[in-house]
Amino acid sequence: MNATADAGLERFAVRFAAEKARLPGAELRWLSRAREEAFAAFAGQGLPHARFEGWRHTPAKLLLETEFEAAERPKIARGFGGQALCPVDFHRVVLQNGRFAPEHSRVAALPEGVAIASLAAVLRDDPESLKAALSGGPALDGLPFAALAAAAFRDGVVVRVARHARLDRPLHLLLAADDAQSARPQCAHLRALVLLEDGASAEIIVETVAGGSSPFWTNLLTRISLGEGASLKHYRLQRENASGVQTAATLVDVGRRARYESHEFNFSGALTRHDLRVRLAGEGADCFLNGLSLVRGDEIVDHHTVVEHAAVGGATRELYKAVLDERGRFVFDGLVEVRPGAQKADASVYNKNLLLSEDAEVHSNPEFKILADDVSCKHGGAIGQLSPESLFYLRSRGVGAADARRLLVYAFGAEMLDRVGLEPLRQALEGALHARMPEGGPR
Amino acid sequence: MLKITELQAKVGEKQILKGLSLEVKAGEVHAIMGPNGSGKSTLSYVLAGRDGYQITSGRVEYDGKDLLALSPEERAREGVFLAFQYPVEIPGVTNKYFLKAAYNALRKHRGEPEMDAGAFLRFVKEKAKSVEMDPAFLNRSVNEGFSGGEKKRNEILQMAVLEPRLALLDETDSGLDIDALKIVAQGINKLRDPRRAVVLVTHYQRLLDYIVPDFVHVLSGGRIVKSGGKELAFQLEKEGYGWIDAEKTAA
Repeated sequence: MNATADAGLERFAVRFAAEKARLPGAELRWLSRAREEAFAAFAGQGLPHARFEGWRHTPAKLLLETEFEAAERPKIARGFGGQALCPVDFHRVVLQNGRFAPEHSRVAALPEGVAIASLAAVLRDDPESLKAALSGGPALDGLPFAALAAAAFRDGVVVRVARHARLDRPLHLLLAADDAQSARPQCAHLRALVLLEDGASAEIIVETVAGGSSPFWTNLLTRISLGEGASLKHYRLQRENASGVQTAATLVDVGRRARYESHEFNFSGALTRHDLRVRLAGEGADCFLNGLSLVRGDEIVDHHTVVEHAAVGGATRELYKAVLDERGRFVFDGLVEVRPGAQKADASVYNKNLLLSEDAEVHSNPEFKILADDVSCKHGGAIGQLSPESLFYLRSRGVGAADARRLLVYAFGAEMLDRVGLEPLRQALEGALHARMPEGGPR
Repeated sequence: MLKITELQAKVGEKQILKGLSLEVKAGEVHAIMGPNGSGKSTLSYVLAGRDGYQITSGRVEYDGKDLLALSPEERAREGVFLAFQYPVEIPGVTNKYFLKAAYNALRKHRGEPEMDAGAFLRFVKEKAKSVEMDPAFLNRSVNEGFSGGEKKRNEILQMAVLEPRLALLDETDSGLDIDALKIVAQGINKLRDPRRAVVLVTHYQRLLDYIVPDFVHVLSGGRIVKSGGKELAFQLEKEGYGWIDAEKTAA
């Protein structure tokens, strides 16, 4: 066993024991039991170290060696308008340092059948409605931090869309971290539940922003359930501060002829790890998974995706791209499992990486486990550099070397922006991508 | 305008240009013809500033400046334009964005204000019309999925937008059907002007039916071995390049 990991685990146990009586819903016996079980699942797996399956290429040193304390609500309430990428006319729920901030949130006049509330509020007002979602669910094997979030969450969000109802405007869930009150490392464990009944549809943007400079660790567990014919577009935008950490696990259950669409953009953060597990449970269920990561400095971004084709005729389209500069590191692990009987599964998994520096690192592993015989599965990975021919072509038309580089890097990323159907968001992302282009001349 | 003196260039260990001299004055159109492997493309790339060529001796003066000391983008901004034999595909960069970046870099270099997106779009649509290009191509990625002829036409569009003072066209006629060839030739002829010069690098005489050169040079073995008027092109077309080599051997 790893000594650092052991000591770290002990710290988490002490903290959880001290805090659990003050967590929301502590008076609910079923929830307390679920939290205890989740903590046991976390402790049983232990903290990830170099030999931990799925973490071999992702040093979690920052998490293991930093003493994170539970984040407190900042005393000075600041606005977020300027920080957020999302347009202001969306529904907005703000969790500030992991707690619902009603003064910044704006969820007005929801259509019939749509409910959006903070998790703590639902646990206070109607806890029984969450009993099934919070006490059951798939095992969290290989997801130690997701188990920790299930044990120690303090707040989160619950989105429910009833049969054939539609969320009229996109929901912007803003996870804002602010260290103005404390220069110490803080953490927030959060849960999100998104439940779409048959034929329901919604668009949700989860955006993380962090001010200040001290480490903030956001640990988010999201469960999504899509009924027959339901459709969810799920955007994730990460803009942590330079020492910010995010560990996120998203578990999606996609019903018959339902569609799950994910677009993930990582702009900054010391360590970002996302485990996305999609189960195509019903016949003809589809998922469309996209990601663009811009990684520089000593940043690490890790995407682990697992798609399980459990029924006939499902489709998976996966494309993750990364641009790496300086000593950035990107890990992609994309597994598609086709279960026996899941015939006509149609899946493609691609990972394309652009290396701008010789010190950057990519670990890419697209993979299939196929237990049906009538399937179409393709995967591929590419790691390349800027094309000297393209650079020369641009320069031969008068475009300066540094601008030519930026233009080509932008073009590499722009493919992922083009897939964003939500036009105002796409435009905001365009600006953010431009702002993150490499500086300086040719190398 | 352009004065090349005893230019020698290598690629790796291989000597390609072996003392090439050529003078081009404003208002003139020169055709450089030669068999495959004679150094035609090397000459074009060396003049445009592509990496990978080692200049071992000789000089190139452009408007009295040392052309070889300038970066590719500086050459372009000073008015040198190379139409590529194999235009490069750039997925993700639209043609209009590319043209605007290039055009505004040029204006900035001249101390002129940049043109805004709306004004540029009107300007470039007009130019597209002049080379009979469907404006839909402006919204497509640079050369991506273009046919050979469309790529060449796109080169001519870029030239029409940038209005270079010295246009070098590297095998611009290759792979074109007769209609496309006429449009490309028309684009080049429009640029003819007492203040500009054009250098056509070509293997065949065909293009010269539509663009009548003032001078024709034969490039062979890395040097200009023969120069003459347009009648030289007809002779090459009729008799091939063999007699030049024979003449060289005899000399």
